[in-house]
Amino acid sequence: MERHFLQQLEKLKTRLIKMCSLVDEQLELALKAVNEENPELALLVIERDNKVDKYDLKVDRICQRIVALNQPVAMDLRMIMSSLTINNNLERVGDIAANIAENFLLIKKKPSFFERIKFASMAQITTGMLKNAIDAFINGDPKTAEKVIQSEELLDKLNVENHKISIEIMKENKDNIEAAVAFLVICRQLERIGDHATNIAEDVFFIVQAQNIRHNYEKFFFSEHQMDDDEEL
Amino acid sequence: MKEIKISISNLSLNYTGKPALKNISLNIPAKRVTAFIGPSGCGKSTFLRTLNRMNDLLDGVSVSGKVLIDGIDIYDKNIDVVNLRKRIGMVFQKSNLFPKSVFDNLVFGARLNGIKKEEELMEIAERTSKQAAIWDEIKDRLDENALNLSMGQQQRLCIARALAVEPDIILMDEPASALDPISTGKIEDLIYELKNEFTILIVTHNMQQAARVSDFTAFLYMGELVEYDRTSRIFTNPSSRQTEDYITGRFG
Repeated sequence: MERHFLQQLEKLKTRLIKMCSLVDEQLELALKAVNEENPELALLVIERDNKVDKYDLKVDRICQRIVALNQPVAMDLRMIMSSLTINNNLERVGDIAANIAENFLLIKKKPSFFERIKFASMAQITTGMLKNAIDAFINGDPKTAEKVIQSEELLDKLNVENHKISIEIMKENKDNIEAAVAFLVICRQLERIGDHATNIAEDVFFIVQAQNIRHNYEKFFFSEHQMDDDEEL
Repeated sequence: MKEIKISISNLSLNYTGKPALKNISLNIPAKRVTAFIGPSGCGKSTFLRTLNRMNDLLDGVSVSGKVLIDGIDIYDKNIDVVNLRKRIGMVFQKSNLFPKSVFDNLVFGARLNGIKKEEELMEIAERTSKQAAIWDEIKDRLDENALNLSMGQQQRLCIARALAVEPDIILMDEPASALDPISTGKIEDLIYELKNEFTILIVTHNMQQAARVSDFTAFLYMGELVEYDRTSRIFTNPSSRQTEDYITGRFG
């Protein structure tokens, strides 16, 4: 096999890396649109979401073809299974970047309470998590993937704090409600991006170490409940 | 692990002084399918033939180590090799039917065992060809020359013939490599059915076939057992880099 097969795998990885860059850029642009109060940039992000969708379909199609024609096993199978889920997570991040842009377009300006909410710190953590998740995937590096997983807790905490602060801001002045709701949604979306970055990081463990760390999988299946279709030698 | 049917320890085989199997140890479970994979010349078929002592028929072969079937050393000098081979059916890459009728082929072993009554022979022919999922296709062709059957039917007839002497182990050496996908599918379905009653060992070059039909897989390379594990593990996360390279086609 198999140079042709390896070429197909390489093509898959290249497409997925392109998808990574595109989605990373979409998030950067969406955040820049907010920070610079730039509606044109927000519109550009929304418009470019189509491109992300096209890449999503391309990666899916390559995976489908490789599985159908080559019946991959072991590390190749893990790579392809993970490519499908990573691709799906990236596509969702792309959608969320577009949603951030859409929510910003509802208000078009940073509100007076902008410095009080957790947007800046959440944006910083989220972009860092996504970049690290992408780097971990490209370099097959579980250590970087671990950093992503560790950041999730802080992001969740900031989101909860932001929720409380936003409610206070709304209570203080009902004129704040529209902008506060928009940013509440935006921050919630940043937290979702953190979840997707975490999913990608977990896939890196699966690809590199054949270790499934989602939902305490190893503990669930191998300690307490042996998989009944897997007989031990 | 389930009940162990075959226990092999430190099995080595030299052929005209050259090592063909090197110090192989493994336990094969009863009523399960165990597949042997590896590149050509790695010793898969030689290994299979040590289990029914077919290598004894070759000059210049020396075997050391132990092969216990149901706890009995089959290389013990008191073992009756003919009896041993009755317990271990074998199916080869190409069907090796006799140029006789379908019926005569089916009951060949039974007749050798001294069964003469037509009624009893008919019962054996029907039972074994039903077990081999070929009865419906041959029941009206029992007097026809067996070599007129299709290749896939001939191979299933070979399996039926092997079952007629009531073995408890079936060795299959590339049983479907000469067959089309439909006939291959029938053989694979049959293997799946037969494992309820027999311990099956299969040598195959087709890794997808090994993955589909077997419960356990052993990877051999240059006469050595590199890895032996659950098939689901071998094909998703093998322990050995050599196994991984082989099954993903990166070998050599």
